[in-house]
Amino acid sequence: MTGIRWYHLALWIAFVAIMFVMPQLVSKGTLRIIIMANFLAIFAISWDVLSGRTGYISFGHPFLIGIGAYTSAILTKRFDVPLEVAMPIAVLMTMIGGIIVFLPALRIKGSYFALVTLAFMELIYQLVQVIRPDLTGGTRGMSGIKTITRGAVSNYYLSASLLIAIAFSMWLLMKTQLGIALSAIGMNEESVRGSGLSTTKLKLFAFLTSAFVAGIGGAFYVHYLGSIAPRALFDINFLFTIIVAALIGGASTIIGPIIGAFFLTFLLEFLRPYLPGAERYFIYGMVALLLYMYQPKGLIALMHTGWNKLTGAR
Amino acid sequence: MSHPLEITNLVKRFGGLVATNDLSFHVEQGQSVGLIGPNGAGKTTVFAQIMGEHRQTSGTIKLYGKDIGNKTTPERIRLGVSRTYQVPRPFSDMTVLENIRVGQMSSSIWKMITTRPNHEREEEIAHSVGFAEADLHKTPGELSMGDLRKLEMARTIATGTSVMLLDEVFAGLTVAEIAQIATLIQKMRSDGMTFLIVSHDLKALEPLVDSLVAINYGSKIAEGSFAEVMGNASVRESYLGVV
Amino acid sequence: MMQIVIQGLLLSGLYALIAMGFTLIFSVGRVLNLAYGAYLLIGGYVYFTVSQTFGVPKPIGLLIAATVGCAVGLLKYRFLVKPLKGDHVAVEISTLILAVVLQAGVVFLYGDSSKILLPIVPGVIQVAGASVTYNLLAATIASWAILIGLYIIVRKTHIGRAMQAVSMDNKGAAISGVDPDKINMFTWGLSGTLGAIAGVFFASYTQLHPAMWVAPLIIAVAVVIVGGIGSIIGTLIVAHIIGFMEIISVALIAPELRGVFTMILIIAVLLIRPQGLFGREELQ
Repeated sequence: MTGIRWYHLALWIAFVAIMFVMPQLVSKGTLRIIIMANFLAIFAISWDVLSGRTGYISFGHPFLIGIGAYTSAILTKRFDVPLEVAMPIAVLMTMIGGIIVFLPALRIKGSYFALVTLAFMELIYQLVQVIRPDLTGGTRGMSGIKTITRGAVSNYYLSASLLIAIAFSMWLLMKTQLGIALSAIGMNEESVRGSGLSTTKLKLFAFLTSAFVAGIGGAFYVHYLGSIAPRALFDINFLFTIIVAALIGGASTIIGPIIGAFFLTFLLEFLRPYLPGAERYFIYGMVALLLYMYQPKGLIALMHTGWNKLTGAR
Repeated sequence: MSHPLEITNLVKRFGGLVATNDLSFHVEQGQSVGLIGPNGAGKTTVFAQIMGEHRQTSGTIKLYGKDIGNKTTPERIRLGVSRTYQVPRPFSDMTVLENIRVGQMSSSIWKMITTRPNHEREEEIAHSVGFAEADLHKTPGELSMGDLRKLEMARTIATGTSVMLLDEVFAGLTVAEIAQIATLIQKMRSDGMTFLIVSHDLKALEPLVDSLVAINYGSKIAEGSFAEVMGNASVRESYLGVV
Repeated sequence: MMQIVIQGLLLSGLYALIAMGFTLIFSVGRVLNLAYGAYLLIGGYVYFTVSQTFGVPKPIGLLIAATVGCAVGLLKYRFLVKPLKGDHVAVEISTLILAVVLQAGVVFLYGDSSKILLPIVPGVIQVAGASVTYNLLAATIASWAILIGLYIIVRKTHIGRAMQAVSMDNKGAAISGVDPDKINMFTWGLSGTLGAIAGVFFASYTQLHPAMWVAPLIIAVAVVIVGGIGSIIGTLIVAHIIGFMEIISVALIAPELRGVFTMILIIAVLLIRPQGLFGREELQ
């Protein structure tokens, strides 16, 4: 949580460079996998900005992502709104959704808060299916949604640029005093109030920022996939993947959720030849559980320890 | 000239229980007042009401003549009053300096993002409460109870407070630590800080206060100099258990 | 009208049974067990395997399901909850992961498609124009019997009083000679048992599916939030509120909205009365 150092920037440049040359190094199939990892990383960063920092565990992140995705999909498909108008509206709607999730956080915290967010996810899952199915596509969802670009390479560059832009700006934001204040809420909310800071304002900001990122991610995601289905989106497995990506990568960091997202996505792909169906989640979940129990601070902490051992530092 | 802290006819009821009963007292500029009473007399409840953690049932709380009875805790702190807790509540994964930084921060989110932390001021505050250079980058887990109390006071100072409420500052400390904290309070008094101190350790409290307010069952039972209050019969009866 | 009352009573009984084990952990163990739904999953599938595949008599099948549920509860406490030492967030996250693992395990063993569980007690009876399956009736009776038994255990027995003590204050209980570890162990085992039994009845009411743990978890969550923690009577009342709301919305409003009202109730109660309708204190 100290200042910005030269090696931070060096790492960022290295990260951007690797992402830039990636299409030259790997096959189109692998590129498609990385696209999914990029989106997962964006969602995990969104979750972490809120839950990883302030300790308000959101089990309803698909709720926010879903608002962004559905708004943009409905506007473009049903009302022929151009993408460049629909997507900002989607982000705005997601931020309004963020305020809705924020309201219970004024009065409850801990386990109760987590439960309500879970209820929000179930609520929207059911509402999407029954209210105006002519717009939402009901239980079956929608397909044939306009895509932004075609082909693995250009989609890769789009998602990678998006991830880099979001990750870098969030990183800068969290390096400021604000980042410290948000983490302080996660450690002891009463003491933050006792230091003269309005936790209401800080929490609202965290919820809005998280929703902003979720909205952007959701909107780009749906226009990449070209389809949307309620069961795939408002799903415990999807929620689980987002949270676990942030946590086993390393909560309260920016690089952690990215590492976690890539690790999980490739683990899932690695298992595909052996276990084609949903049973993949068995191994995948076991790995996640063991990693989490072994080091709750995530892969980034493990890498730190490993690096220190290697260089002989303490 | 209005007083830094003035409490008038303060009443707090929890259901049928009267925790604060028509309590009035004030603290003068630069003075240090001790608030004493037996366990459960309602001292901490008074602190909680001054800080806005509990809302009073009736009565007024004034800070420099300004009624703060309806303000939120952070608003009151920015007006210049803050407190420490008997059980220190530091930010566990932050260093001493970062803990102080949270107290120093502006309450505006925009300013939090755009201004850099004032490292010199953080270090100055840390040193002023007695932290050595080597302690500045320690986390609370590595600190002693005495150091944690100092850290609480440092964060309170960082908020720019001019009226400091100390809740059982000596509880759980070694003799040496008590002496350190006492010296620190004396130094801050000479720098013009106004204090309201709750303590069970009357011996440690005596040299630190200009006067005492004794309460029992939420009501004031005596007020005056240390000797006067200690000589008061009802104080002796209720508080010390001797007649 | 009569039909709504009867259907409502039956469904509510089932819901009370589902919620009970969850409430128990929430109030005694002070942690949110997101893998609670997995007990129902395990209970349902164990019963299915034992009774329907191997043809073991149904009561024994139910007993075995309950035993396995109990064992899973104990294991979960010993290897997951206890090592995390009351870190609420860590327990929530790891139980969520565990639930997903168990669901995937079921897919691995039984496949992704749903299975029909034969009624535990076959047959239908007509009561005041409502057709009542013996199965659901049995579930309701079992539920009431279990709830009454639980009430007696918690209120009248030594271990029940110890549970109450631990739910109020871990340290205080330890000082007064109650071993919180043992009580927690007992509670987790009991919760697993109740969950597995509820799972058998729930699966025979709906069907057996690897994702069948989510819906009952949400119901349990709703009951805990609306009722507040630590009250068996509160759990019972709220289970009836939610059960009747669902039946009424199915019969009179729109079947698709049956879950929506429950969610809205949860959110409304949280915003208006966060400690729940019958809760005595707020849980952190």
